[in-house]
Amino acid sequence: MVTQPRRVAITGMGLVTPVGNNLGETWQSLLEARSGVAPISLFDASGFSVRIAAEVKGDTYLSNTGHKRLSKAATRSHLFALASAEEAIQDAGIRPDAANGHRWGCSVGTGMVSVDFPELEALQREAAPAGELDTDLMLSSSIASDPIAFCRSQSAQGLSLLVERYAIKGYTTSVHTACASGGQAVGTGLKLIRRGDCDYVLAGGFDSMISPLGLAGFCLLNAVSTDNHNPHTASRPFDASRNGFVLGEGAGFLVLEEWEAAVKRGARIYAELAGEGNSLSSYRITDSHPSGDGPIQAMQQALQSAGIFPEQVDYLNAHGTSTPMNDRSEAAAAHVVFGSHIKDLSVSSTKSTMGHLIAAAGAVEAAICALTIHHGKVPINANLTQRDPDCNLNFICDKAKDQAVRVAMSNSLGFGGSNSCLVFREPGAS
Amino acid sequence: MITGLGAICASGKQPEQILDSLLDGTISIAEIGGWDGENWPCRLGGVVGFSPRELINDRKLLKLIKKTDVVGIYAAEQALNSAGISTYRESLASADDDSFAERFGLYVGTSGGYYDTQYDFLPLISEANGSMQTIGERLGESVNPMWLLGNLPNNVVCHVGIRNKLKGANACITNHGTSGSLSIIEAFESLRIGDTDRAIAIGHDAPVEPQTVLYYQKAGLLADAQLTPFDTDRSGCILGEGGAALVLETLEAAESRSAPIHAEILGKGCTSEAEGLLPVRVDGDGVARAICLALEQAGLETQQIGMIVCHGNGTRTSDLSEGVAIRRVFGTQIPPITCFKWAFGHLLAAAGSIDTVLALTALQRGIVPAIAPLSNIDPSLQELPIAKVAREPISNTALILSRGFGGQNSALIIRASSR
Repeated sequence: MVTQPRRVAITGMGLVTPVGNNLGETWQSLLEARSGVAPISLFDASGFSVRIAAEVKGDTYLSNTGHKRLSKAATRSHLFALASAEEAIQDAGIRPDAANGHRWGCSVGTGMVSVDFPELEALQREAAPAGELDTDLMLSSSIASDPIAFCRSQSAQGLSLLVERYAIKGYTTSVHTACASGGQAVGTGLKLIRRGDCDYVLAGGFDSMISPLGLAGFCLLNAVSTDNHNPHTASRPFDASRNGFVLGEGAGFLVLEEWEAAVKRGARIYAELAGEGNSLSSYRITDSHPSGDGPIQAMQQALQSAGIFPEQVDYLNAHGTSTPMNDRSEAAAAHVVFGSHIKDLSVSSTKSTMGHLIAAAGAVEAAICALTIHHGKVPINANLTQRDPDCNLNFICDKAKDQAVRVAMSNSLGFGGSNSCLVFREPGAS
Repeated sequence: MITGLGAICASGKQPEQILDSLLDGTISIAEIGGWDGENWPCRLGGVVGFSPRELINDRKLLKLIKKTDVVGIYAAEQALNSAGISTYRESLASADDDSFAERFGLYVGTSGGYYDTQYDFLPLISEANGSMQTIGERLGESVNPMWLLGNLPNNVVCHVGIRNKLKGANACITNHGTSGSLSIIEAFESLRIGDTDRAIAIGHDAPVEPQTVLYYQKAGLLADAQLTPFDTDRSGCILGEGGAALVLETLEAAESRSAPIHAEILGKGCTSEAEGLLPVRVDGDGVARAICLALEQAGLETQQIGMIVCHGNGTRTSDLSEGVAIRRVFGTQIPPITCFKWAFGHLLAAAGSIDTVLALTALQRGIVPAIAPLSNIDPSLQELPIAKVAREPISNTALILSRGFGGQNSALIIRASSR
């Protein structure tokens, strides 16, 4: 007997992004294409070759981060996670309780381990005065003795804060596949419900690399745009003149729920998380093949996993980082996957307005896809003025498009070659 | 089906060799040589002594990766070789090999990174003397341009993929002590649902660096001297370096190429206790639930389990709660219990991987290795059949437990093929 796989409903979402402190604000900004890119304010970036980024503005999200006891051991990106998870849980109108906590899972995409820069500076003063670490001096260093600093910097800490806050007692996991992390975390959530490990999953991603070390890492690789004088147009995916991505930060969380359970409780369903695909480019650390090999397989698997034909897809939220290699490879992949349907497929990269949220990007863009289905509107690919002839797709430009989106797709392609693709379907469809 | 194995740690660089060392009762934990630890309160670690060049013959790659990646790639390629993967692929036509690559998954458990990766910036910070502007301006003169790529947590996914042309579904799991087990579990599930035909599950870690060791010591997690799991006088854990890998194939895929089948994965369970990063519940709640889930998926009764490989990290509450959980689930009929960390340290993200590889190797030899340094079993665990001397397993099935920060637990059940 062939049993139908369990379906997955998206019933709650929360966002903290460079263009909004919550879901509603972010969506409104996307529709109006309000850029979140500006000169860096979090630290003095005046000496860096890149001095712009897409920072989360203000701190109204902090009202959602919960008890001080939790947030004391949280980094900036953990606070984004706590706030957007709370918004998602409230939005879904359901939370783990004593009876079903063990049926809840949590799957998060997290960034690289790092400590806050002032802590590294303190360590340098205390334990490496001449630049080389002196391990005997480290013994008396305040940072290396601080248990809170220890907890905050652990790679499982973001996950731990979330599962403790909500008493999530089932399958819990952190994943890191660089820029594909968020997409992989949401895809993992889908699998956990499909295979029966969980009935509910809090899935998302969080990151903040807008720090001296994070920015330095990307500057050294020449991966980020140096358009310091034109921050609003610096991120221009698929434009012939693009010269790198713009670093962003934030978090996105989704409440995923087994379909029947969601229907039974009369939940509002934004969209069905219908499929996920996952592949490895195995070409270069930073790129996939110009032919699209790698992303092609992820997109095809996601469609197959959703039981959807390419011509049914209405909208592609492209990874679209605004680096020459990524955009070209992704566009080539879309041509292979969609064939002649490509001219009818609406495409945009929302990184054009909010920058690249790295480990959070895939989760945030998953929420955006669900919103395009829910609202019947497609946000634009901003700053596209001179089309790269090698990236010939049906981009939504100028203004958001009213369009009934029955199926949406989101790509996340990471450094290291991991590709994650998610497919979303309108809730009325079966 | 498990068709290939690889492992490296302070006790050796092959599964059989490591098991031999365990059976001899050898403790491969020693003074850490990486820095001057004379004044340090904690000087022990399970360090892998081989030079990177002895493990991977690719000078260009070695410039780009860290020790944790070296042991991960080494263990992975050992497992692929032992499964005869490259030999088999040589017989395939090019188109068949493409589809082989696309249906071959990679699941890796690793740390998210450690503190030493950031020390590359210390000279620059010192030179800048408080001026952030200087840091920005002199960045390119001071820090290696490839710094970020060298420190990507998903480097092993990337390089094992490129070096061996594997292109299927993949994940990089950064979940502390359960990372390695979860990599096996996700590979297993990807085969079950048909995302892949074959997959490699790799765990690798190298946490023996100053700031991590010091933090663990300050948090009260490290042993004063030896790691003596379940002993009355146990005082904590000791960190170790290493990697381990398993090649998994569906039965059909394994049989189609007449692969040697070592074992079958039967079931898994994963739970969280949700009480914070460091606390562990003394009633063993998370461990007990994980075991029950694994038994349920495997369709096994407790009496059918032949041996239990505990997490056994040597900290007071973790060991105790594991014992409590086992008693709760198994009642009075408990199979022999052992654990391995006492010999080479806690490999954190690779712990579940190496424990599974060694459990399987031990099952194949029909032996439950003794916990050599155990002298007086904790009175509250007295009635548990903890292996003070080597014994025979009750059956060819093993239950492997892993635990990690955040109150996370996993249980895995494997059955060795008879031979």
